[in-house]
Amino acid sequence: AQDLPLANGKEYTIGEINVTGTISYNEQTVIAYTGLKKGEKIFIPGDRISKVLKKLWDIGHFSDINIYVTSIEGDVANLELEIQEVPALANVRIQGVKKKKQEELIKENKLDKGVRVTENLETTTRNYIQNTFREDGYLNTKVAINTVPVEDTLNTNLVNMVINVDKGERVKIEDIEIIGNDALSDARLKRALKKTKEEKFFRFWKRSKFIPEEYEADKEKLVNVYKEKGFRDARIISDTLIRIDEDDVALKLNIEEGNRYYFGNIEFIGNSVYSDRELQRILGISKGDVYNGVLLEKQIADNTKPDANDLTNLYQNNGYLFSNINPVEVKVYNDTIDFEIRIREGKVAYFDEITVVGNDKTKDHVIYREMRTKPGHKYSKEAVVRTVRELGQLGFFDAENLSPDFKNVDQNSGTVDLEYSVVEAGASQIELQGGYGGGGFVGTLGLSFNNFSLSGLFDKEAYKPLPMGDGQTLSLRAQASTYYQTYSLSFSEPWWGGKKPVRLSTSLQHTEQYSYDYRNREADKDKKFSISGITLGLAKRLTVPDDFFVLSTAVAFQHYNLSNYNTGLFTFGDGYSNNFSLTLGLTRDNTFSNPIFPMGGSKFEVIAKVTPPYSLFNDVDYANLADQREFQLENEFGVLSQGEYNSVGQLVPTRPLRPGETPLGDPSKIDQEKYKWLEFYKIKFNGTWYNTLYNFGGSNSIVLRTHAEYGFLGAYNNDRGVPPFERFYLGGDGMGTYSMDGREAIAMRGYPNQSLIPLDRGVMSRETDNDGATIYNKYSLELRYPITLKPAASIFALTFLEAGASYDGFRDYNPFQLNRSAGAGLRIFMPAFGLLGIDFGYGFDPIPGETQRNGWETHFIIGQQF
Amino acid sequence: CGEYQQVLKSKDTAVKYSTAEKLYNEAKEEDSRRKYRKALRLFEQLMPEFRGKPQGQKLSFLYADTYYELGDYYLAGYQFERFVETYPESEKLEEAAFKGAKSYYFLSPPYYLDQTETQQGITKLQGYINRFPESEKMDEANTLVTELRVKLEKKAYEIAKQYHHTENYIAAVTAFDNFISDYPGSPFREQAFYYRLESAYLYAINSYAYAMPERLAKARSYYEDYQRYYPEGEFIELANAAIKDIEQKEQQL
Repeated sequence: AQDLPLANGKEYTIGEINVTGTISYNEQTVIAYTGLKKGEKIFIPGDRISKVLKKLWDIGHFSDINIYVTSIEGDVANLELEIQEVPALANVRIQGVKKKKQEELIKENKLDKGVRVTENLETTTRNYIQNTFREDGYLNTKVAINTVPVEDTLNTNLVNMVINVDKGERVKIEDIEIIGNDALSDARLKRALKKTKEEKFFRFWKRSKFIPEEYEADKEKLVNVYKEKGFRDARIISDTLIRIDEDDVALKLNIEEGNRYYFGNIEFIGNSVYSDRELQRILGISKGDVYNGVLLEKQIADNTKPDANDLTNLYQNNGYLFSNINPVEVKVYNDTIDFEIRIREGKVAYFDEITVVGNDKTKDHVIYREMRTKPGHKYSKEAVVRTVRELGQLGFFDAENLSPDFKNVDQNSGTVDLEYSVVEAGASQIELQGGYGGGGFVGTLGLSFNNFSLSGLFDKEAYKPLPMGDGQTLSLRAQASTYYQTYSLSFSEPWWGGKKPVRLSTSLQHTEQYSYDYRNREADKDKKFSISGITLGLAKRLTVPDDFFVLSTAVAFQHYNLSNYNTGLFTFGDGYSNNFSLTLGLTRDNTFSNPIFPMGGSKFEVIAKVTPPYSLFNDVDYANLADQREFQLENEFGVLSQGEYNSVGQLVPTRPLRPGETPLGDPSKIDQEKYKWLEFYKIKFNGTWYNTLYNFGGSNSIVLRTHAEYGFLGAYNNDRGVPPFERFYLGGDGMGTYSMDGREAIAMRGYPNQSLIPLDRGVMSRETDNDGATIYNKYSLELRYPITLKPAASIFALTFLEAGASYDGFRDYNPFQLNRSAGAGLRIFMPAFGLLGIDFGYGFDPIPGETQRNGWETHFIIGQQF
Repeated sequence: CGEYQQVLKSKDTAVKYSTAEKLYNEAKEEDSRRKYRKALRLFEQLMPEFRGKPQGQKLSFLYADTYYELGDYYLAGYQFERFVETYPESEKLEEAAFKGAKSYYFLSPPYYLDQTETQQGITKLQGYINRFPESEKMDEANTLVTELRVKLEKKAYEIAKQYHHTENYIAAVTAFDNFISDYPGSPFREQAFYYRLESAYLYAINSYAYAMPERLAKARSYYEDYQRYYPEGEFIELANAAIKDIEQKEQQL
């Protein structure tokens, strides 16, 4: 390193270096720290020496450092380095507080062993402790810190610290006296003092603590109450704190109300892009209104809501980043105030460079494609707010930890750079379960990768531990028990082709189910029912009518194959059925901002699932199948027969027909013909609204979720009828079912799973208890409150009211004939496990077929949202 | 192996030191990760013992180098940097500074992720180049810096290109503009010039008639830029086709 002389410094060669005053340090160590070497040439005084001093000071282990020249022989200078070490902390003891608090204080102040005990450390510790207790109402807290050197033979320069804390009594407010108020009552004003309350016998759940900081804030709130009522000049002339005794104080507030004022003329000055009339409409205050300073401020700039409809946002959302709006009182006469709203519009600002930092997993293109702030576009605050909201909804980042940073705000060129900083959150879920149920062991293995990268599949470098970052979803699931197996694989890419948000999703599925032999208690592998299916779907975000709309289409094909499998589900035990369907869906979703706990917005969905109308052109007379020879009952030799029903509900031939008898239709042949290719149409609607009822600040709020859903399954050809597939089963947790006949399990808490069959279904009806309904409706109201919304685990509590019912057809439909329930529950969302929940529901009505009300039911929810 | 366990548990720092050094030397010769890992465990124990002592200097270097060899570049970078700060007079200074800087180079992720480490790598390597201009590692250091710079360029280019691909033409033009002024010597410069022209062109021809002349003129100026710098460029035919269409449209208006 180069050295420079200071002032009239002279160059010397270093001779000896002595270090004095060290206790715990080796002399050599200190010399090594300085970097000075014997024989080195330095200037005295010089730059090098001062740098050495600075370096030593920066270590923070010395309380005094001096460098002396002890002797000079020719151009050789001998140096002495005198240092004073700061003592290190040996033990710390805190007296006067509880053990738990002690540990907390030690941790907060970092009073660890070996810490250098400086003046600064003592002062900050004292202040910290005092403030902690003051915030809790202990106004008279005294803290004394003593340090005692540790005496030992090693001369180690350690000290023990003793902190004495005298909390004193918690100070309570005995009485609040307000004088000088005419227009507003004492009670109204005391209500304004939100955190400063009188001690009352009924306030036992919250103490009437006196906390100076909060008192100051409350005084401002009190004045604001006046301001809202037109008392512009209201102020607190004096407030007195009277000590009644050691732990009680009284407050005396002296108020001057002043006059009540009204708005006079309001003029806009400096506006060129918006007319007075437009601005006036947003301001919403007109001449003659009672003066309300708070409202005026809010209508100009509401700092509590980023998307408020105020004047500032009008400008900020349309490029006027540098705009500035100032209300000025221009004239006060009698009780009327004239205003000028002075607007400096400034230059229109454009976004310039948009950058993202912190994405160490998610690739750039996944983030940039979602952003609504684009280079060269006009600045808009709304776009920034929406970008933050939507990046949070992706689920790849910690939604509570997303922030936009304005950089290089340049008024002259009218540009602004924006940097979003994101924090990656775990987005993959693993489900591994084993359990005993339904007569055997059930094992499940599920893997779901929510930020998968298909392109990284063949790239060795990308496995960290799995290819990630393209925003794709891949899930694999296998479930097996002794009598059924199901495998599924699904993949989706939210921006197929990368040009527009078109979601491509595919899934493959295969299930095999074996008949259960009750005598041997094992699966009968000869009796088998298998389903294979493939689905291919596309969903596109629309721009018209607004960009919350998503249009989706899907083509699905399923093949059912039964071999020797007789249950009540089908009339035929050997045969097959195909289901080729087209689904169209239209969704609008503007819920925000945390997908686990939405606090506002709504979600609507209309879905139509249709099959081709085969019966229109296949020339089969479904009404009279029984009259045709090929569908009539015959015995094993192909002779038309008489028959009777056996225990599983099948018609079995008994004896050949006698002359004159009419042939019987064979139901299994007829049904096979009817369900060879399923023919139906299904329409569903559901809507969900989220409203924040009360906000305690941040995400901490009570949210009301209102939900309604309807479904209808119909046939094109009534002779062919509605198939037993694809039906609605209401009741219970609404989670997936074992039988994969395309049935939809609709959640309805307070009742057992799939128990709410149509009420009007009599003994004589064609449908049995196994059949689902063709119409259903369901309504629910749910109040939710978040316990924690940390990224590691989001937990919220809920309570609900629900009502719903299912019907066999429009003739039976009665929207007031509902099964009702109420209850409460808890949801936990952990990124690694997905959603888990438990609900306790009370069913007020009997299950169809019973007479008693259903009572309590417990539901466990895994991996889905109610 | 039992011997190693004994040394690991022993209180004798001298034995530990010599065993660690031996393991380190063997590891270096045999290129054995296992031995590096063994040595590292001993170094970890020794570091606090020797801090500030004369052997500390060598130990610190070996410690940092073991991390480096094991591919733990976060710690290697940090430890080498500490070494450089603590022992500015060491004869290993240059090597330590280089390895420290190169650790950051290794930490730099692919262009499509956050580039904080890349920026750091450039700063560190540049710092090395400035400090040891006579170094024999000069060429390598320069190559590494260039590689990192090109990575940043690639990132900026790909982002701009994505705006073009997603048909956000205004954004694409602005982003390419910035790219061209920010990275004058980039290998993606020609593409940037061409795609800026194409974005402006596509934006212009999809505009309402009243806005078209102005936007066509802008596209034309971008064409002229491209044509001036790359008269025989890769995209010249596409560019010429675009200008032909622009001229046609201008005449029609």
